[in-house]
Amino acid sequence: MKNVIEVKNLTKKYKELKAVDNLSFEVKEGEILGLLGPNGSGKSTTINCLLSLLNFDGGDIKIFGKEMSPNAYDIKRKIGVVFQDVAVFEELSVYDNIDYFCGLYVTDKKTRKKYVEDAIKLVGLENFKKFYPKQLSGGLLRRLNIACGIAHKPKLIILDEPTVAVDPQSRNNILDGIKKLRKDGATIIYTTHYMEEVEILCDRVIILDKGSVIASGTNDELKKLSSTKEKIIVEVMDLDKNHIKEINTLKNVAQVTYKDNNLTIAYDKGKNNIVDLINYFKKEEITYNNIFVARPTLNDVFLELTGKELRD
Amino acid sequence: MTVFKAFLKVLNKCKIPIIIYTVILVFFSAFNMQTSEKSVSFTASKPNILIVNKAKEEGITKSFINYLNKNSNVINIVGSEEKIDDALFYRDVSYVIYVPENFSQEIIAGKSPEIKVKTVGDYGASLANMMVERYLKIANVYSDVAESEEELVSLIDDTLATKVDVKITSKLDSNSIEKAAFYYNFLNYCILAGTIYVICLILSSFKEENIKKRTMVSSMSNKKYNTILLLSNGLFAFVLWIFYVVLSFILLGKIMNTMHGLFFIINSFIFTFCALTIAFLIANLVSNKNAVNGIVNVIALGSSFLCGSFVPTSMLPNFVLKIAHALPSYWYIKTNDLLKEVEVFNVETINPILTNMFIIICFSIIFIIITNMVSIKRKGKI
Amino acid sequence: MFIHNFKYAFKTLFSNKMLIFWTFAFPIILGTFFNMAFSNIENSEKMKPVDIAIVNNHAFEFGLYKEPLEKLGSEKKEEKIFNIKYVDSKKDAKELLDKNKVSGYFIIIDDKPNVVVNKNGFDETIFKYVIEEIDSYIKITSNIGNKKIAENPNETGRVNTIYQYVYLDVTKKISEYKANIKDVSRGNLSYTMIEFYTLIAMACLYGGILGTVSINNVLANMSNNGKRVSVSPTSKAKLVLSSTLASYVVQLIGLLLLFLYTIFVLKVDYGNNLPHVILLSLAGSLAGLSLGIFVSCVFKTNENTKTGIIIAFTMLGCFLSGMMGITMKYIIDKNVPIINKINPASMITDGFYSLYYYGTSGRFFFNVVSLLIFSLILIGISVLSLRRRTYDSI
Repeated sequence: MKNVIEVKNLTKKYKELKAVDNLSFEVKEGEILGLLGPNGSGKSTTINCLLSLLNFDGGDIKIFGKEMSPNAYDIKRKIGVVFQDVAVFEELSVYDNIDYFCGLYVTDKKTRKKYVEDAIKLVGLENFKKFYPKQLSGGLLRRLNIACGIAHKPKLIILDEPTVAVDPQSRNNILDGIKKLRKDGATIIYTTHYMEEVEILCDRVIILDKGSVIASGTNDELKKLSSTKEKIIVEVMDLDKNHIKEINTLKNVAQVTYKDNNLTIAYDKGKNNIVDLINYFKKEEITYNNIFVARPTLNDVFLELTGKELRD
Repeated sequence: MTVFKAFLKVLNKCKIPIIIYTVILVFFSAFNMQTSEKSVSFTASKPNILIVNKAKEEGITKSFINYLNKNSNVINIVGSEEKIDDALFYRDVSYVIYVPENFSQEIIAGKSPEIKVKTVGDYGASLANMMVERYLKIANVYSDVAESEEELVSLIDDTLATKVDVKITSKLDSNSIEKAAFYYNFLNYCILAGTIYVICLILSSFKEENIKKRTMVSSMSNKKYNTILLLSNGLFAFVLWIFYVVLSFILLGKIMNTMHGLFFIINSFIFTFCALTIAFLIANLVSNKNAVNGIVNVIALGSSFLCGSFVPTSMLPNFVLKIAHALPSYWYIKTNDLLKEVEVFNVETINPILTNMFIIICFSIIFIIITNMVSIKRKGKI
Repeated sequence: MFIHNFKYAFKTLFSNKMLIFWTFAFPIILGTFFNMAFSNIENSEKMKPVDIAIVNNHAFEFGLYKEPLEKLGSEKKEEKIFNIKYVDSKKDAKELLDKNKVSGYFIIIDDKPNVVVNKNGFDETIFKYVIEEIDSYIKITSNIGNKKIAENPNETGRVNTIYQYVYLDVTKKISEYKANIKDVSRGNLSYTMIEFYTLIAMACLYGGILGTVSINNVLANMSNNGKRVSVSPTSKAKLVLSSTLASYVVQLIGLLLLFLYTIFVLKVDYGNNLPHVILLSLAGSLAGLSLGIFVSCVFKTNENTKTGIIIAFTMLGCFLSGMMGITMKYIIDKNVPIINKINPASMITDGFYSLYYYGTSGRFFFNVVSLLIFSLILIGISVLSLRRRTYDSI
């Protein structure tokens, strides 16, 4: 498969602070690439550099095999961007907003009309065409924001945290839309700090921290990086220190934490662990309420790699 | 106390417009204060004129120019004719006299020399014109009998020296009262703009949807909350008024310690109260912060222009004054203007002043009633 | 693309209510206030008949003052100097004066004329002048009479007759004398027009806000919309130009409305040279527009602050060019002319003033050229900043 984007040794400094540090990655045609990282990890800066909005201190960016520059209109034509902050005109209606931004790419009026209608359908704003941004709820506004970015049917779509502060219904709608865009043949870069979304959506994930890649690969590949293979969370009252010590000695247990009546046990191998635990509880006559078994998440991976949580 | 503290914090953000209004007030008052001291004897008003002399300054010409110098303020403008025209346009000069080259000869010959003038047609110009004509008439009458230029000059000068005694009866320090009235008339704008702007912004901050919801669910009773807010705003208007009164003592001095000063102060207090009620009404009608700025400007400037705050009522056209009757500012300014004429305070002179104050209070009551009606109507909504 | 962006920039500006209020409605409202407040000022400065009272006692009835005063009080409208109320006693006259019904009263006591007034002022001065003038006829009569008697010593027995004869002759000569005064003033002396010219200046410069808002929307470092626009395959020059043009057109529409309103409703006089008025308006709006672009490109702050900067600049400029008091402009022009030479509000005001007062003149073109230079400088600086395509931070 061809590389749609190739980034080599990208470095961007804000005065002394290195926002992006010698970053290299590539995006393959047709894939959804997740850029995952906590706030301030350099995701948005990377994207702004990709789009030639920011000048950078070193490195190479190629999109569709060509050098990216502010005047590379043939490249820009094939890109659609949805920025983190909602960028629409308060004074224009939903339809006009999409038409305006689409019109910057598509000059032919007939095609544009169809494209705008398609975009409206994609994000499910059919009933709000004449509404003004002020009249839309947060979720609907986000959907409009996306429609404005992708109406011209770009080959490469860059979505910068499109789901921040969005209600579940709109979030599902947005995620469905993105899947559909991929099905229609677009390559997508998706930045977020919601790992659930990445797990559902992305073919490949790059985890960023402090401006550099700390891991990349498919979901499963990344999870293999984690020493934790299984996690069991139990709600237990009145556990004393001796119990915790004993649990620590059970088979496969890597780490035990007990906080607010929640006992979290991480295992480095994943077989029969739950049975062992229940047996232990029976033996010690400990009452417990709920037991969850969780697969390791990207958050665990991130936690292990950097020692901090993805989300603050 | 918490509500009041929050109030002060929001108030702090509105200080810039208040400062601007005050600077404008001080500037214009100072601008208006440079007129002369109180005088006991009559001083004739002198028109501002400009003399362009093309003749030799001797004999008749000299006498003519001396006469004009004595009875008018001769403005000296050096430079081109355009400078003179500018001076006329901006009323720096009301009347320009071009003394022709053959002025003396023509007068002696008993002819009337052609004198070119430029005039703006105001009082000063009319007065200057009267002077010029008077000189020419007298010169003409004497030209038949005088045997020499010297004799002619001495006859003319002798005649022009006649002075009529003018007695001034009023003991009123009209100059200082005039200044005080100007200050308090201008205050109309500052008080209106200041209170409406600040109170609307503060109330719209407190009424902002989320904040309002939050306060409604808080443990403080709604009534108490509103009362504190009302009192805070009232206190603000009061402090603003005190500030302007203190400023008037600084700028105007002694006159403020007289009965006149007292009435100016009482009148402005009543008007401040009225402005407060207007502010509440507008704050109840308008919740959009952006719109507040526009509305304040229209109301404050409108009231000030139409009611004589900037331009004296005597110079306003009648139809404007009729419209102005419907605005409280008119009655406020009318009282200030009445005070200028009052010499002795007795029932007869105070009565019209009290009537005006009563009318302003009536306006305030009407505004309060409307405000209540509006807020009752709105209660259903958040 | 140019037309597409133009169309939407136009639509966006027109849908922004606050913007339209400040650039379209506010100047019209302010103009209406000006008109109401100032329409009578110049009339009130014209001389009107002075109200006076005359104590009609024996000395007046048979004195020399009666005839000329009666004449001055009974002339036709334009010539009339006094509105005279005749009263019988000093007490009545004093009462009229105390109630401000008259500016002063005239009374002859012991054959001496007396003028009594309330305060200093033009009315009072005119009153004094007229009495002095009548007084001077008597003086002339005695001067000429004395001379005649001195010349003819044998006529001493007929002194009274001579005086009477001379007096009649003097008053006749005086009333027949027509001073040859020729008014060569320029017409168009209505100084309140300046207020309306500053209003136009204000509208022109406020128009800059339109430019600011419009340009902000296509600059990546200034707004989110700008970021979005910047990643599209449209050249920045095209976007900036078409947005600029859109705001200029909106600005001119607003100005046109203001002109129509001031000309047809408020009867403001802009002189007779329409093409020059248009030229000056175009240059004035261009100065406003370039101010807007300049503020938009150079100051990196939010839109409200930018608007605030333009409003503050405009108000200061208008203040210096006479909006809050026409004298201000004259004082500046006379004492520190340089300030108003670099103040665009004053260039516009002075341009209209010279057109109204002097007709087409070098001064008018000087103002137009000044406006163009002002615009060019600001646009030049803006272009330097606009040429950047990528930013260090956004």
